[in-house]
Amino acid sequence: MSSFGFGLMTAAVLAIATVGFTMQFAVTNVLNLAYGSVMINSAFVAYYFNKHGMNAWITLIFGVILGSVVSWAINKFVFTPFQRRNLAPITVVIVALGVDLIGTFGLQAIVGGGYVSFSVSPGREFHILGMFLSGMQLIILAICAVVLILVHWLLKYTRLGKAMRATSANANLARNSGVKTQRVISTTWLISGALCGLAGTIFALNTGVFEATSAQLYIVMLLAAMFLGGPGEPYGAMFGALTIGLATEISAAYISPQYKEVVAFVVLLGMLTFRPYGIFGSEKTN
Amino acid sequence: MSVELSQAGQVLTATNLSAGYDGRAIVQGVNVEATPGKVVSIVGPNGSGKSTLLKSLVGVVPVLAGTVAIGSRDITNFAPEKVATLGVGYVPQIDDVFPPLTVKENLEIGGFLLPRHDVAGRIEAVLEFFPRLKEMLTRKAGKLSGGERKMLAMGRVLMLAPSVLVLDEPTANLAPMVATQLLEEYIRGFADHGSTVLLVEQRAKAALRISDWTCVLGGGRVVLEGAPKDLERDPVFVESFLGGAARH
Ligand SMILES: Nc1ncnc2c1ncn2[C@@H]1O[C@H](COP(=O)(O)OP(=O)(O)OP(=O)(O)O)[C@@H](O)[C@H]1O
Ligand SMILES: [Mg+2]
Repeated sequence: MSSFGFGLMTAAVLAIATVGFTMQFAVTNVLNLAYGSVMINSAFVAYYFNKHGMNAWITLIFGVILGSVVSWAINKFVFTPFQRRNLAPITVVIVALGVDLIGTFGLQAIVGGGYVSFSVSPGREFHILGMFLSGMQLIILAICAVVLILVHWLLKYTRLGKAMRATSANANLARNSGVKTQRVISTTWLISGALCGLAGTIFALNTGVFEATSAQLYIVMLLAAMFLGGPGEPYGAMFGALTIGLATEISAAYISPQYKEVVAFVVLLGMLTFRPYGIFGSEKTN
Repeated sequence: MSVELSQAGQVLTATNLSAGYDGRAIVQGVNVEATPGKVVSIVGPNGSGKSTLLKSLVGVVPVLAGTVAIGSRDITNFAPEKVATLGVGYVPQIDDVFPPLTVKENLEIGGFLLPRHDVAGRIEAVLEFFPRLKEMLTRKAGKLSGGERKMLAMGRVLMLAPSVLVLDEPTANLAPMVATQLLEEYIRGFADHGSTVLLVEQRAKAALRISDWTCVLGGGRVVLEGAPKDLERDPVFVESFLGGAARH
């Protein structure tokens, strides 16, 4: 049953990360493989403030800001110039992979190869639905729940959110309707980047100890969760994250923790083979 | 015909227009003028560049030479979102709705440029015009039938009360009855109300019936144009587009 608790935590963090990732993919058409490195960089920035005495929960804000600004900047100064040249979509994917390596190993060059951890009190332990969860874990779950509700509200009830979905569905038609899609896309990078930064920081908090390369394989989890829920589907992403989070942690308990990403990868391959539009998805409905 | 759905029009002019993809001109040296209160239609075989012409007018495809103007204002190569602010409503031939968005959300995006508090009232007005959409406000656009979907596509552009309507084969895939109604009631109605209508229509006979002026596009050029009653008597036109119907 403890693996279920771990699974729930992994799923919660993964849900935030995947929602941001899939939002980027849907609205901006970039499969941002550098996502993991932005996550871990955000975590380190938050950690830096924590190390200098700031409360870990407050440092989350700095993780969020860094993720947001850096994602926006990567798009503005790296992806957009490449996209403008009308190269094959695969080019941007390869560029993103390059950015990921630079982001990860650049960070490692700065902070060194050692493990670090936030100084944060785990709080007292709660016994809920057969799971033992620390106060810290409950706070993380609460943050995830609130953020997912906010994302839902954004997409469903705000002008910006509807413009984001319209841009994702048919960018030209959105422009014909007067939507400044370039601005919508920039804003999407800020928002999805904020989710990325938040996910990175709570990932680090949740893992306990982490280092510069800790999120290197996270992209496999992201891709698996995204394809499970259907690429570009924020609600699917939440479902995909829950499934992958539980599946990887439960299998980790029964097989070996080292195989977490392998399990995610197997799910990813299965999805790509049998249901490339996700569990619920059908080929674009038009 | 609801009074405030579309507005009295402005003149839309294309002069010596060349446009195409990747710097290659598909449409070449085209002159078209659409004026308020009139339906100007464009007919021509598949691949003759009809859609490319319309797209270049609304900023979706780059203009390579020549000009596009609304009234006296040069709008050549304006971005589509800018063209929308000038009162031009464009319904593309395909991909004319946002499939994952609901009917209501599609209309809301259509009204994106409106002041926030005007949107609901405007949706009401459009729904009065297309009452069938009323019962399916929460349905996803991707799940609509062909006819319902076209109504939504038209409804989306009507949200901004356009003065110029640019319509690319609005009757494609519609049942004949629905197509006739759309053309003769709605589209002709916009022009009678004073709007400017530029219409691409595959079915030449139907196009002539509601048009004031018709251009025939062939290989990206205007090969023939005239008032419908003259074209109906033109042997070349009759032979190629009306299946020799004039002889009967
Ligand atoms: N996105 C594109 N990129 C390159 N070439 C294109 C593109 N879209 C259309 N074309 C080419 O431009 C030419 C004209 O196409 P267009 O769609 O304008 O014709 P059309 O008259 O609208 O045809 P239809 O009656 O089938 O709608 C065709 O040869 C087509 O292959
Ligand atoms: Mg066409």
